[in-house]
Amino acid sequence: MSFIDQFAEQWQAYRKPGYYDKFDYAWTMTIDLDRCTGCEACVTACQAENNLPIVGEEEIAKGRTMHWIRIERYWEGEYPDIKLRFIPMLCQQCDAAPCETVCPVSATYHNQDGLNAQVYNRCIGTRACAVYCPYEVRYFNYQTHHWDTPLDQQLNPDVTVREKGVMEKCTFCIQRIRLAKDTAKDDGRRRVRDGEVQPACVQTCPTEALVFGDRQDPDSAVAKQLNDPRAYRVLEELNTAPSVVYLKKVEVDAGAR
Amino acid sequence: MANIERRDFLKLVGAGGIGAGAGFMLSESTKHPLEYLVPYAVPPEEFSSGIATWYNSVCSMCSAGCGITVRTREGRAKKIEGNPAHPVSQGAVCALGQAGLQALYNPDRLTGPLVQNAERGSAGFVKTTWDEALGRVGETLSALKAAGQGDRICLLTEGVGGHLAELFERFMAELGADRLLHYEFAHPQTLYAANQRLFGETRLPYYDLQNADYVISFGADYLSTWISPVHHSLGFGRSRHARPDARGYFVQVEPRMSVSGAAADEWLAAAPGTEGLFALAIARHLVEKRYRGADRDAWAAALDRYTPASVAEAVDLPAARIERVAQKFAASKASLAIGGGTACSHTNAVATLVAVNALNYLVGNLGKPGGVVFNPEPAVGRDTQARHATYRAMRELADAARAGKIDVLIVNNTNPLFTLPDAAEFAAALQEIPLIVSLSSFPDETTAMADVILPSHTYLESWGDHSPEPGVGFPVGAVSQPVVSPLYNTRATGDIVLALARQVGLDEALPWPSMEDYLRDSWRTIHAQVSGGTEGFDTFWRDILRAGVWGEDTGRDHASVSVSRNVIASIDVGEPEFAGAEETYPFVLYPYESNALRDGRGANLPWLQELPDAMTSIVYGSWIELNPQTAAQLGVKEGDVLDVESPYGKIAAPVYVYPAIRPDVIAIPIGQGHTEYGRYARNRGVNPIRILAPQMEPETGALAWSATRVKLTRTGRHVELVKTGGESRELGRDIVQIASSTPAQGEARSVALQSTRLRSIPITVEPT
Repeated sequence: MSFIDQFAEQWQAYRKPGYYDKFDYAWTMTIDLDRCTGCEACVTACQAENNLPIVGEEEIAKGRTMHWIRIERYWEGEYPDIKLRFIPMLCQQCDAAPCETVCPVSATYHNQDGLNAQVYNRCIGTRACAVYCPYEVRYFNYQTHHWDTPLDQQLNPDVTVREKGVMEKCTFCIQRIRLAKDTAKDDGRRRVRDGEVQPACVQTCPTEALVFGDRQDPDSAVAKQLNDPRAYRVLEELNTAPSVVYLKKVEVDAGAR
Repeated sequence: MANIERRDFLKLVGAGGIGAGAGFMLSESTKHPLEYLVPYAVPPEEFSSGIATWYNSVCSMCSAGCGITVRTREGRAKKIEGNPAHPVSQGAVCALGQAGLQALYNPDRLTGPLVQNAERGSAGFVKTTWDEALGRVGETLSALKAAGQGDRICLLTEGVGGHLAELFERFMAELGADRLLHYEFAHPQTLYAANQRLFGETRLPYYDLQNADYVISFGADYLSTWISPVHHSLGFGRSRHARPDARGYFVQVEPRMSVSGAAADEWLAAAPGTEGLFALAIARHLVEKRYRGADRDAWAAALDRYTPASVAEAVDLPAARIERVAQKFAASKASLAIGGGTACSHTNAVATLVAVNALNYLVGNLGKPGGVVFNPEPAVGRDTQARHATYRAMRELADAARAGKIDVLIVNNTNPLFTLPDAAEFAAALQEIPLIVSLSSFPDETTAMADVILPSHTYLESWGDHSPEPGVGFPVGAVSQPVVSPLYNTRATGDIVLALARQVGLDEALPWPSMEDYLRDSWRTIHAQVSGGTEGFDTFWRDILRAGVWGEDTGRDHASVSVSRNVIASIDVGEPEFAGAEETYPFVLYPYESNALRDGRGANLPWLQELPDAMTSIVYGSWIELNPQTAAQLGVKEGDVLDVESPYGKIAAPVYVYPAIRPDVIAIPIGQGHTEYGRYARNRGVNPIRILAPQMEPETGALAWSATRVKLTRTGRHVELVKTGGESRELGRDIVQIASSTPAQGEARSVALQSTRLRSIPITVEPT
C-alpha cells in the first residue's frame, strides 16, 4: 500500500463521525440559554486564563477582536414588545470540523479527546480556517501584542503567548484538561472524575449556564444535559457535529403573559 | 519521511542541540556578566516550581464581598476564581472580579509615597519616604488632637466592612473626631430607609431568588450591578432550571432595558418614577384577593384608590397588563418583589421602595423560601450603614470645607470628584482644605488633588476581613489574605492607619504593629465565642485561612413583622420631581452603572475597557441610547454626536439607537469620562454624573440620579462607534432557538450525538 493510500484510508476513518467515541474522553459543553444573562464574566475569565492580548481600540474598529468566547446579541421585535437574546459563542470543537480540512499544514487537527486543537508553531497564517469556520470563532494575530509592564506578570505560564501571524481559538482550556489527567494518573485513577476539570468560562459562570464534562460518561452532568428536550446545536444543518450543545431559551408567548 | 522512527528523530534533534552548544562555546568570550537563573535555590514555604498554590481571599472590587480563590505560580497571581465554599459567590465571579488581577498588576499604580511640591492638582508630585510623608500628616493630626480640634479632621473612605471599618472608628474616636464617612456612589441609601420604615430593619434583607417562582424587579439591575450581582445570578439560574417542576418567572419594570431586563420573561417600560404606583396597584389586588392579615382593613383603605385603571395613565402601560401582572403575582406560590437601581433613584425613591416592600409583606413571603429573609448581625466588624454618606452629607462636608472648618481630609480609595455632580462644587471645596491625604492605589481624580499620597496595597496584597452586607440570611465572616508579596513601596490601608496612630502617640490605644496582628487579635475573640476553647487559636486561624470563610447556618428567628397603622395609612408614592422644565428639556436622562466599569472604578482595567458592553457590544467609549422613534424625530443615526444639556451642564457623545428604551428617556452609561485614573481610563468618553441636577430624595438626602431632564442638540459631527457586534437581528438564521415553554419531561428526545450522526454526511477522500 502506497503512502497516499495509507493516508487516505486513515483520513477516511478519522473523518467518519463516531471515530472519536473509541477514545477515553469526548469533552462536551452545554450552554443553557435560559440561564445566560450576557454578563460576560466568561469573556474576562477566558482572557485571564488564556493570555489573550489587549488589542486596543483601533484594532477592534478594524474587526480584529481577540475574545475566544464572546456574547452574540440578537434583538427580536420592536418597542415595547422587544427582547434581546444572548448566546455565548466559542469554538464548537466540531467532530467534523471544516477548519481542519482546509489547513495546508495541519496546524489544526483533531485530538483523541475530540478537541479541535491548534498547533501554533505549525501555523503559517493562511487564515483559511477562519474563512471555513461557520461560527467565526477563530482569531488571527495581526500584531505581536505586548503587555504593559507589569501586566505581563499575570500571564499564565501554562499557556503559550502567541505571535503575529498565528491563528488561535478556544481550546476548552486544554491545559486544565492535561493537568486533570496528570493528577488522575498520579492518584492511580484511570479516569478524570466528572467536575474535576472546568474551563475558565464554565468555572466562573454566575448563573451556572455552562456545564462541561465528558459525554462518554453517562453519569456526568453534561451527559444528562444532552438529554434535555431543549438541547440543540447551532447551525446543525451544516453537519459539523459540534461538541457544544445549547439548551433553548424559554419564552412565554405574548398571549400567555 | 513517513517512516521516521522516534529514535531517529531524537537523534536529529540531538545533533541540533550539539550545534547550538558549539555556538554557545564560541560566544563564551563575549558573554554577559553572571546572572542567576534560579533565584529560588531555597524556595520559600508553600512553593514548588511549576505547581500552582491557591489562596482563599475576599474580592474587594465591589462591596458584595464574594469569596475568591487566587491561583499563584512562582509568587505571582495568575487567576481569580470563586471560592466554592463561600456562600455569596459559591465558586462564581463576575467580570469585574476576574479583572482584579489587573488592579494588582496595573501599570499606573502609585508605587510609593508622594508629596505635591507645586500647585495643587498639578503634576508636581515628588517621591518621598514613608517616614517623611507619615510625619507630615502625623504632625498636623497631633496638633489638632492636642488642641481638641478633632472635628477638623475628616476621614472619607470607600465602603469598607469588617475590622478595617472598626479600626477607622477607633482611630477617629481616639483623635476626638467624628467626621468618618463611607462614600459609595450607588450605595442603596433609599432601600435602607424603606426597610427601616416598613419593617423596622436596619440591615438589608436577603432576597431568596433561588426558590422564588415569580419575581418582579422594579428597576433593580440585580444580575449586573445591583448590590450582589453574582449571588443574585446564582439564584436566578437556579430558580429557572434547578428545580424539576418549576421555572422561575421574572418581570422587570424599568424605562430602559438593563441586563436583568433582557434576562426577564417580561420587560415593562413604566414611565420614570412611577414604579411605586405600579407596585401599589399590585398591592391593592393582593389585599383584595389574597391577603387575610389582621390589618387588612387599614391596607384596603390606604390602597383603595390605586386601581390598575387609575394608575395606567401615569405608569403609561395598559391597565390590563398591570392587572395581569398583579394576578400572577398574587397567584404564584413564591412571589418576590425587589426594587432599586437607577429607576428607584427618584425624588420619591423611599416611598417607591416602601410600596415595593409592601408587596412582600402582603404576599406573605417574609422569612419564607423564595421570599425576604432578614439578616442577623454581621459575623465580624459592625454595621456601617450609619456612616454611609449621602449626597446631602457630602454637600455638608463641602460646605464645612468652604467655611474653613476642615483642616485635614484623608481619602481612602473613594473618588468623589468623579462620582459627584459638578453642581456639588466639590472640587472647589477641596481647595479650601489645607491638607488632603490620599490612601488610594491609583492616581484617580481625587488623588490628583492631594497634597500627600500614602499609596495603599491592593486587596490582593493586604490583610483584612469581611462580612457580606447584605448577608445571606446567616452570619458569615471571611478573611482576606495577601496572595502575593507587595509589588511596590506601598502599605496596607490598615497599616497606614496604625502608623499614623503611632505618629500621633496612640500607641496605647492602638498598640498593634500591623493590620495582621490587629486582625488576629480580633479573631481571637471570635474564636473564644465559637469554639469554646476546644481547639487552639492557631489551628482555628489556619483553618479559617485555608477555607477563606467561616459561617454558621444558625438562621434567625423570624418574629412576625407588624407594620404600624400610621405607615399603612401614609402609603403613597407621590409625584417624582425632575429638574428642568419639560418644554425646554424634553428628555429624562437615565444614567446607569455600566456592567463592567460600574461607577467608574473599572475604567483603568484594560480587560474591562475591551469588554463589549453587555447590551450594545460597544467598547472603549460612551454613547447616548435613543429609542429608534426619537432618533428618527431628531433625524440622527448611530454615531452622530449630540450635545446633552441639562440645567447644570453639557456633555457630548455619539448616538446609539437602542430599541428597548422609552421614547421620552435617553440613557448614558456611567463609568467613562475620567480625566485622571491612568492611561487606560484617561480622556475616554464622558461622565453623565457631571451634568446631574442636585436633586435629592428628601428623607434620606440620597442623590436622585434619575431626576434630571435634558435637551439634545446636533453638533454635526459624526464618529464610528467601536463595537464588536455585527448584525443585530437574526435574519432567520435560527441561532438562538426558542422553546415556547418547557416541554413536559415525557417527550424528551435525545439530541445527542446519535441523531446527528444519522443525518450527517461523512466527508471521504477517494484514493487515487
